Amino acid sequence: MIELVQQIFNGLAIGAVYTLIGIGLTIVFGILGIAHFAHGVVAMSGGYVAFILIERFGIPFFAAVFLSMLAGAVFGILIERIAYRPVQNAPPINAFIIALGLTMMLDGLNLLTFGPDQIVVRTPYTHVYNWFGIVVTELRVVVLSCTAVLLLLMWLFVSRTKTGRAIRAVAQNRGAATLMGVNANAVAYVVFGLSSALGVAGGALVGAMLALAPGLGESLVIKGFAVLILGGLGSIPGAILGGLILGVSESLAAGYISSSYKDVIAFAVMIIVLLFRPEGLMGKK
Amino acid sequence: MQHPMTKILKRSLVAALMTAFTGAVYAADKTLDIGVSDALTGPGAVYGLPQSNAVKMAVEEINAKGGVKAGADTYKLNVIAYDDKANPTEGTNVVRKLIDRDNVKYIVGFCCSGPTSAVASFIAKEPVVMLVGNAAERSITTQGAPNLLRTRPPADFTGAAAGTFVAQKGVKNIAVIGNLDVALYAQYLEAFEREFTKAGGKVVARESFGLKDRDMTPQLTKVRSLNPEALLVIGYIEPAAFVYRQSVEMGMKLPRYGFTSGSEEQFLKVATSEQMEGVWDLRPIELTLDALGPTAKTYAENYNKKFGMAAAPSSPYAYDQVYVLKNAIEAAGTATDPVKVAAAAHQLAIPSQAVMKYLPVAGKMFDESGQAYTANGAFQWQKGKWVYVSDLPSDAMAYSAYLKSLRK
Repeated sequence: MIELVQQIFNGLAIGAVYTLIGIGLTIVFGILGIAHFAHGVVAMSGGYVAFILIERFGIPFFAAVFLSMLAGAVFGILIERIAYRPVQNAPPINAFIIALGLTMMLDGLNLLTFGPDQIVVRTPYTHVYNWFGIVVTELRVVVLSCTAVLLLLMWLFVSRTKTGRAIRAVAQNRGAATLMGVNANAVAYVVFGLSSALGVAGGALVGAMLALAPGLGESLVIKGFAVLILGGLGSIPGAILGGLILGVSESLAAGYISSSYKDVIAFAVMIIVLLFRPEGLMGKK
Repeated sequence: MQHPMTKILKRSLVAALMTAFTGAVYAADKTLDIGVSDALTGPGAVYGLPQSNAVKMAVEEINAKGGVKAGADTYKLNVIAYDDKANPTEGTNVVRKLIDRDNVKYIVGFCCSGPTSAVASFIAKEPVVMLVGNAAERSITTQGAPNLLRTRPPADFTGAAAGTFVAQKGVKNIAVIGNLDVALYAQYLEAFEREFTKAGGKVVARESFGLKDRDMTPQLTKVRSLNPEALLVIGYIEPAAFVYRQSVEMGMKLPRYGFTSGSEEQFLKVATSEQMEGVWDLRPIELTLDALGPTAKTYAENYNKKFGMAAAPSSPYAYDQVYVLKNAIEAAGTATDPVKVAAAAHQLAIPSQAVMKYLPVAGKMFDESGQAYTANGAFQWQKGKWVYVSDLPSDAMAYSAYLKSLRK
C-alpha cells in the first residue's frame, strides 16, 4: 500500500511538469489554432537559462526561475511574430515544418553552448521528509507547489483581468472579438508569452528534479501533446487532469511493470480514454 | 651498334653491382608489416584511436631496441592502420584489404565488438594471426579459432568475480537495477548471480532502465519495498548516476555496488559527491595507476609525452598485443608462418613488458580459447575520488572452463 502511494506521489511531481507543458500547448492550440511543436525545446532552453542564472550569477532559485520565465515569454512572443505569424493563413503543415526547424535549430544551439552532457539545476531544497512511511523530497514538494501557484495565477489572470477577457473572447470567436475592438494580434502575443513562460517553468523544474540535456525537448513536447489530447483540446482543467494522470500512469508502469513500458502504458492510457471519450476528458463535445 | 666488349663489360658491371647490393640487402633488416583495424573516427574512436596510438608507440619502442628476431632474421615493424569506424562492414573490408592487398599476416587493435565479431566469424580460415583488444563481446572467443587471441576478458568474467566479492562482504540478498536489455550487462548479471547464489546469496529484484532514462524513482520505490541488504547498479554511467542520486534522495541507506566504469567528472555531472559517497565500482582494473606497478606508470608517462593527452584506460590492451606478437614470433623462430606464431602465442608466459595486470591460466597468458584475463578491482568513491581498495577474487581457471563450454 505504502509503495503504491509512494509511486503515485512520485508520479504527481513529474505529472506537474507535464501539466505545465501541456497547458502551454493547449492555450496556444485552443486560442490560436497552432500546434506549437517547438514548445518543448523552448521549455528546455528556458531551463538552461535558469541554470546559467543560478550557476554563473548566483541568483537564488525562485528568482532565477522567474527571470527565465520572463525571458521565455519574450522569446515566445518573438517566435510568434517571426515564425508563426507569416504562415498564419497558409496550410497548417507549414507551421508544423517551421516548428520542427525551430526545434532542430535550438537543440543544436543548446548542444553547442552546453555540450551533450546532463546538466542539473541545483537547488537548496535537498531535505527528505518521511511522512507515514512515504518518502517526500523537499524538491518534489516545491515542484508541486510551484505548479499549483502558477496555475492559480494563470486562472486569476484569465478570469479576472481585462486581457484575460480579451483572450477568452478571441478563443470563442476571433472575428467577433475583433469587431468588438479586441486586438487579436496583441492577444496572440500574450498567449504565446504566457505559454512559453509556463513551459520554461516546467523546463526549469525538470532540470532541478532530474536534469537537462539536448534532445529532451522533443520527448517533453510529445508528452505535452499527449496531455493536450487526453485532457481535451483547449481545456485548461483538462490539461491539469491529463498531466497528472500521465505522470502517475508512467510512474506506476515503471514501478510495477518495467521502465521500458513507461511510454507504452502512458500512451495506452491515453488511447483508452479517447476510445470512450474522443473529445478528451474535459473537452467540449 | 655496340662493341661486343662493351656489352660484356656493361653486363659484368651490372652483375657485380647486383651482387654487391643483394649482399648489402642480406645484411640489412627486413620489414614486418603489422595491420591495425580500429575505430579511428566516429563514436568508437574513444576506444579505437588510443589503441592505434598505443600500437604505434609499442612498435617504435621495439624498433628502437633492435626490432624482432625471428630465427636468423631481424625485423623492423611497420604499422598499417585502417579505420573500421566501429562498423561491421567497414571492419570486414579493412581486414580483407590488409590480408589480400597488403599481404599482412598479423592484425591487431579491434576496439569494438561490432566489426570484431564480424571478422572473428571468418578469420579461422585466413593465414593470419588476429589479436583482439577492447572489444568485449563474449562470443568473439567462443568460436574455436586457433589464430584469434584476445587481451581483454568478457564482461561476465568481472561479473563472476564481483558476485564472489559481494557475497564475501556478507550480503545475503541484493536488488539489481540496470541496462538489462543490453547483452553486455545481462551477461555480467548472469555471472554475478551464479557466483552470488553459489555463496548463498539471493537476487531479490531485477529492475531495468534505458540509456536515456533519468527518473529512477519508480524502480527504486519498488526495490525499497523489498528491503534488500544492498543494491547493484549495472549499466551506462548517466542513468546509473541518477540511480545513485535518487537512492539518496529517497532516503535509502544501503551499500551500493555497481558496474559502470565512469570517471569522477562524469558522475559529478548528475550527482553530488555526497550522494556518491561509499558507492562501489566492481570493474576491470585496466589502466588504474594506483592499482598497478612501474611498467604502467612508465607507459602512462610515455603515452602522455608522445600524444599530448592521458592514455585511455583500455589503450594498453593494444600495447600489450604488440609485445605478445613480438614474443610469439621470437618463440616460434619465424615471422612468415602465422600458424606457428599463433601456436607459440598460446604457449606464452605473460610478457614482462605488459602494462595490464594479467592473471595467468596454468602459467600461461592465454587459455585454450585464446583468452587472456586481466585483474578486476573493487573501487570505492571516497570523498570525491574513486579509490582502489582491493582486487576482486577472480577465478580465471574456472571462467576459462566455462568459456570453453560455450563453444559451438
